Amino acid sequence: MPAILGFIGRRCLATLPVLAGAVVFTFVVMRLLPADPAAFLASGPGMGQAEIEAIRVSMGLDRSIPEQLAIYAGDVLRGDLGRSYTTGEAVVDDLAARLPASLELTVTAFLLAILVALPLGVVAATRPGSVIDHLCRAIAAAGTSLPTFVVGLLLIHVFYSELGWAPEPVGRMDVMLIPPPVVTGSLVIDALLAGDTGVLASVLGRMVLPCLTMTAFAVAPLARITRGAMIQVLSADFVTAARAAGLPRRMVLTRALRNAAVPVVTTLGMVFSYMLGANVLVEKVFAWPGIGSYALDALMNADYAPVQGFVLLVAIAFTLVNLAIDLLYGLIDPRVGRIG
Amino acid sequence: MDRRDFLKTGGLAGLFLSVGGVSLPIGRAFAREGDDITLRVLAEDGPNSRDPHGDGVNRAALGTFTNIYDRLVNFDRIEVAPGLYRYDYLKFKGELAESWEVLEDGRVLVFHLRRDATFHDGKPVTAEDVRWSLERGINLPASKRQLSTGSITSADQFEVVDAHTFRMRFEKADRYTMPNLALSFASVINAEAVKANATAEDPWGREWLRNNAAGGGAYKVANWTAGQQVIYDRFDDWKSGDLPRIRRAVVQVVPAAPARVAAVTKGDADVALQLPPKDVAAIDADPKVDLISLPVTNSFRFVAFNTQTAPFDDVRVRQAIAFALPYDAMFQGAIFGRGTPLYGAASDQPETSAFPQPYPYATDLDRARALLAEAGHGSGFETSFSYNVADAITADPIALLVQEQLGRIGIRVVIEKVPAAQWGTLLTEKKVPFYVEGSSAWFNDPDYFFRIFFQGDWRWNFGAFRNEELGALVEKARWETDKDTYEDLMRQAIRIVFRELPIMPLWLPAFDAALKPGVTDFTYYIHGQVDFRPLDRKA
Repeated sequence: MPAILGFIGRRCLATLPVLAGAVVFTFVVMRLLPADPAAFLASGPGMGQAEIEAIRVSMGLDRSIPEQLAIYAGDVLRGDLGRSYTTGEAVVDDLAARLPASLELTVTAFLLAILVALPLGVVAATRPGSVIDHLCRAIAAAGTSLPTFVVGLLLIHVFYSELGWAPEPVGRMDVMLIPPPVVTGSLVIDALLAGDTGVLASVLGRMVLPCLTMTAFAVAPLARITRGAMIQVLSADFVTAARAAGLPRRMVLTRALRNAAVPVVTTLGMVFSYMLGANVLVEKVFAWPGIGSYALDALMNADYAPVQGFVLLVAIAFTLVNLAIDLLYGLIDPRVGRIG
Repeated sequence: MDRRDFLKTGGLAGLFLSVGGVSLPIGRAFAREGDDITLRVLAEDGPNSRDPHGDGVNRAALGTFTNIYDRLVNFDRIEVAPGLYRYDYLKFKGELAESWEVLEDGRVLVFHLRRDATFHDGKPVTAEDVRWSLERGINLPASKRQLSTGSITSADQFEVVDAHTFRMRFEKADRYTMPNLALSFASVINAEAVKANATAEDPWGREWLRNNAAGGGAYKVANWTAGQQVIYDRFDDWKSGDLPRIRRAVVQVVPAAPARVAAVTKGDADVALQLPPKDVAAIDADPKVDLISLPVTNSFRFVAFNTQTAPFDDVRVRQAIAFALPYDAMFQGAIFGRGTPLYGAASDQPETSAFPQPYPYATDLDRARALLAEAGHGSGFETSFSYNVADAITADPIALLVQEQLGRIGIRVVIEKVPAAQWGTLLTEKKVPFYVEGSSAWFNDPDYFFRIFFQGDWRWNFGAFRNEELGALVEKARWETDKDTYEDLMRQAIRIVFRELPIMPLWLPAFDAALKPGVTDFTYYIHGQVDFRPLDRKA
């Protein structure tokens, strides 16, 4: 156990330079973009050079880039990520309010995708050429070729506009209901804690369509990788040997699964990280107040601070996901398991 | 507390919500009760500030300012169809001012404030608040230049006569003073509330006012979730007009247009704004929705040339392109014919002094080729045609049609899509040779339009146009009080831009909004947002 803790500690320390790098890199890249936030802000007809200059000074953009970076780095260390002029709020508050919304959607869709994709991939691999195998390939092809917003709009059209089964695809819950007290920021958990079944039903109802959209997006790569890894393992020598030795089918499959798990877990990590950052379109379509649509709006508006804060947050999330994957590797594969 | 109580009491702190109508569409629940009418509006963007003098405030914020602050005066309105109004740019009505006097040939304006008006916090509105608010406006960059177009430039002009009398003095009468006082830049702010939150580095309390409202308008902000929704509650002690019928208004951000359209079609929302032109025809045919559509007179779409760089510094090249553009195809392809064309005038002599008005150009490829040959570009040239990615819905089809059509006269066009964030910078620096853009001016007077769009070293001089004759005409018209002389000056100016073509206007767009049947008395303002005050709804 202490070995694991030491491992985690070292890994966390090792991420500090990565995070610092992310902060500096994003900061510099944003300033290299050919957009001038002051010109963007001076958007009213009749605002000339003098007004643009006044705004530039008030934003501190007249200072040199190293100077601005030093100020920003100091602020970040104090936990201040600056202010967004797109929303008018502090970036830390914006992200804190929006991260739970993104996580709630991403985690649910991710779990759903695992539940669907892994069995599908395994069955497809053990029965090549069967109906399930074809189904698996069809889903993988559809999932990679259909953009998420198309899937989202299609679901809205069918289940909201036409059939009327789904609730209005706007936001996280019915405006008529009183939201539960904020404890975790996750409306599902907060509604459960408050014991408010009405809110819970509304929240879950609204999650169905965006979750399905994201699941459709995640199932494709997971099913494909699972199928591929299983097929590879099933044709490996040790499986042939085990089969030849007359080991029960179930036992052979369990061993094969364990061996196929490494590429699958790697893909899981990638898919999750990707979902967290790349669900922008789903958030846009369903007016879901997440971090992805927030960062996109900021980028469109040359609003530096939220983009920088978003990248830092995603960098931290990637780090955590990678750490979790490394720990999982240890559990799956005894050869990397000796964490020393 | 049940749902209804919640909506009645309002103002619950710490709401963290997003919205919908799965179980109980709000409107239906309240339409039965006369006084408790709720309205739900879906828009593409949410407001980003509560400071009417703030930097970079977006269009949605203009709607917020209209509802939460009062001004001394507001534009009056004209009924354009039963239950549908538009603002009257030429007529004013008192808002905080009960009455006003124009003295000394318009060089002095005296405003008599309502004696019973208070801010939301209960503090009476005084002439000192008005003075301080205007002083703040002329000191902050976002409002300074606009107020100066109405000669509101110096604190010396303001005088607090007594608690309810405010006097303004001008060197000469300016016809733009009153319209400026009706804009959100002239909002009256609770001076004490802002001063209490100002700091030495921030004497005007900008940091605070961005995230806090300090008004006395008809609506209070009950809940503000940036980028998601704003809930407004009626200020029951509002005195600057008839008490509004709408008790509570929820404005929600729904970025995807199909979702906004779906919600209003299903009857879950009351108003949907920023409708894509291609959906408008379908909405119009839908009996479950009322479509309102008004011609916008102060916004226009145009193709611009950088008149300072080759080959567009040659007027014949600009004219050649103006004769080549596929106007009808663009009008249908980009906005589905929902607008007022600004091309194809029969005569090159302006019919009226109004602006923008149709230009005397229509598609005529032979004339275009002849002009190009005359300019020494008989074999054509290569150029880029740019647009703002944020504007893609309209600009995409325009760019493709321009590319195809100009190819027919030998001009090879490369389409450049510019990220929204970069667009303003490029236009300000005059780095785009040939592009499509839309813009609007606050006021409809032609000399005001000319001043913004055809002169100066700023972004709004889209053609980077320099013409001394035009400058002189516009300057003369600025203070001209004789109507005929003014119109004559403007006709001369219009002839110049017809000929010199710094930009080629395409059309005036239409303002479209989808309303749930029963929502009436919508009033269209310059900013295209919803003013809750005059609205009504029936069951």
